[in-house]
Amino acid sequence: MLGRSSLRDLAWAALLLVGLLVLPILVPHPAMRDFVIYVIAYGLLAMSLNLLVGFTGLVSFGHAAYFASGAYIFGLLMQSGNVSLPVAMLAAVGGTALLALVIGAICVRLKEIYFAFLTLAFQMFIHSIILTWVSLTGGDQGLMGGIPRPTFLGIDLNDSMTLYSFCAVVFVACLVIMRQIVQSPFGYTLRMIRDNPHRANFLGVNVVRMKLAIFVISGTMASVGGIVMALFVSGAYPEFGFWTTSGEAIFMIMLGGTQLFIGPLVGAILLQTLNHYVTIYTEHHGLVLGIVILIFVLGLRRGLADFVYLWFQDRRTRKLEKETGR
Amino acid sequence: MATTKGGVPRRKFLKGAASAAAVGAFATTITGFPHIAGAQAKVIRVGMPTILSGRVAILGTSSRAAAQLAVKEFNESGGVNGRMIELVDRDSKGRPDEAAKVTRDLINNDGCEIIIDAEASSGSFAVQEVIRDLPVLCLHTCSETSSLTADPKIHVKTAFRSARQGIHDAVAGGKYASAISKSKGLKRWMTCSPDYAYGRDNTAEFLEYLKIFDPNVEVVDQVWPKLFQPDYTENITKILQVKPQAMYSALWGGDLVAFIEQSNLYSLFNNITFFSGGLGDPPVLTAIKNLPAGLNTVYRYNRFYPNKPGNQAFAEGYNGIAKQEPTNWSWQNRLACSFIFEALKRTNGKTEGTALASELKGMALDSPFAVEDKITMRDSDHTIIGYPAAWGVTSSKFPYVENFTAPAWSEIIQLESEWKKRKGYA
Repeated sequence: MLGRSSLRDLAWAALLLVGLLVLPILVPHPAMRDFVIYVIAYGLLAMSLNLLVGFTGLVSFGHAAYFASGAYIFGLLMQSGNVSLPVAMLAAVGGTALLALVIGAICVRLKEIYFAFLTLAFQMFIHSIILTWVSLTGGDQGLMGGIPRPTFLGIDLNDSMTLYSFCAVVFVACLVIMRQIVQSPFGYTLRMIRDNPHRANFLGVNVVRMKLAIFVISGTMASVGGIVMALFVSGAYPEFGFWTTSGEAIFMIMLGGTQLFIGPLVGAILLQTLNHYVTIYTEHHGLVLGIVILIFVLGLRRGLADFVYLWFQDRRTRKLEKETGR
Repeated sequence: MATTKGGVPRRKFLKGAASAAAVGAFATTITGFPHIAGAQAKVIRVGMPTILSGRVAILGTSSRAAAQLAVKEFNESGGVNGRMIELVDRDSKGRPDEAAKVTRDLINNDGCEIIIDAEASSGSFAVQEVIRDLPVLCLHTCSETSSLTADPKIHVKTAFRSARQGIHDAVAGGKYASAISKSKGLKRWMTCSPDYAYGRDNTAEFLEYLKIFDPNVEVVDQVWPKLFQPDYTENITKILQVKPQAMYSALWGGDLVAFIEQSNLYSLFNNITFFSGGLGDPPVLTAIKNLPAGLNTVYRYNRFYPNKPGNQAFAEGYNGIAKQEPTNWSWQNRLACSFIFEALKRTNGKTEGTALASELKGMALDSPFAVEDKITMRDSDHTIIGYPAAWGVTSSKFPYVENFTAPAWSEIIQLESEWKKRKGYA
């Protein structure tokens, strides 16, 4: 039976889904749909990375490898014409989980900087495979010729509104799954590992196994982001698996914050919005984004969502202290 | 003690400013997003997704300058049916997914009715898929990958290419190099090209046609420096050890500049006949401090070839805007604009994708860049023929490449059609 907090989370998820589905009616502009799909894809990448960074204390520099893996497996299967879209999605998610299991089994035994660099090394290895296996991946040109979107169960993703709704549903489903993981005993065990792995070990937690489990789950969720992106741009490109994409996900987490579940999503919205506007007005977007990040790091000293959350907490505490006269 | 600004503590001020900026951005996202420009019926908006930042920004900046010049001239001549053109450029940062996104934005958001895709190859394939979804007229102006227009599986009815392509260059290069190899007896060949798909494909195609025209050629070794490699000592040493008589390189841009300057230190070109697939771009030629004379290069751009007043006028006009000589991408974008303007004139300003595309199919233009009579947008595969698929030799005198020779287009087309059959494209 679902607990009260789970029901509350599901209610929030339903509200978010309704909000996403109503948004194109309120703002009937195709560019809005495109923007939200883009945020969904990169939001999933950032939120899944935060399962490692924020909740487990594992800073991965190679998370984009799973984003790319999802996009490429999905794209290749759809181009083969032998499988339906849902089967290709499941295979891409399953294939990425397997990949994350192999890489994770090696990486999670290491700590801190060694873990970070090994994940980066694996990412660059996968990126090199994408570049050099030209006959399969198209090399640096990416998967050419588009990704077909055949109708399944009466759903035609060639229609842009249907594609948007489909991405919104997939996104909310992933959020629900990640939220349940974070709020479960397993999620709290991860926080314990983050805060004090020796104590967790002393209490009988198999730290390596726990880390491996969240590594695989995190990679799997990132692959869904890759699938959404492949559907949107109708292709898959080596840049999806390049270190700069992992860097962007880390930027999103820095902008949004690590402590709140939706922090990285806020970061993804902020980064994509900044990117959208800054690119319109100047080609010196790197400079502008750098300044914005400096403001966050030096001014807020945390992500926006964390800052707002702590500000409300402080206010509430001060109010309580005032009321109790202490 | 914390510094204060008008009574507000510095940290509080910084926090407030950051929060206001962030919340403002967020609020804009929710309420006013996204920058809905709205098309003005009078103005025809032409969108240009391109690369304006990073290592290959010159691709975008030289494409944009050429298009700006063309649009300016078009508007000054009165536009079409009273309608002027406005160019809207957007930086894709060299990322294909970003190229797809900004192209969609340009069409859906900025009201662009025509797209000039000045992306590098991978970006062009991404833009091609956007055009499949949103069928406005699109001209690819920078991608040289032949399959973009040759492969019927990728074909999109409203997408065209106004750019040179690999297979044409390979035939022209093979023909040109074989004439020299036969006359000088150059049998031992070597290659030095960047280690990625373009470098390997370009080199393979050049060698394929070189061997077709001169079967005596033997490739004794190949070296593959990394893309954007700063130091070529290892590759140059290897070349000096192997001692080939001739060499082909698909290096381009800053990599080619670095390679030639480092090779000069070893006097590499004293005993090796060098053929380059990227040296002919004026910014590359002028970036090399001591450009050796006598290096063979494919035509990228030259104000005296084709030697027509229109070409020199273009170079002057471009110089006025960009303060440098045009690049290969510049003339290709200028040509794309000419095709678009002519199509708009023929449709009397109607911008519907299929209407413009039907005018563009088979269109033959009197262009200053045509080596024969005209440059034609081939009906069958939406790509140009009749442009300068030529090779020349470097010299110390401006514009640093001279003695251009080009095979007849009839010969290129015949070999191209055989290539298409082998590839299963025809």
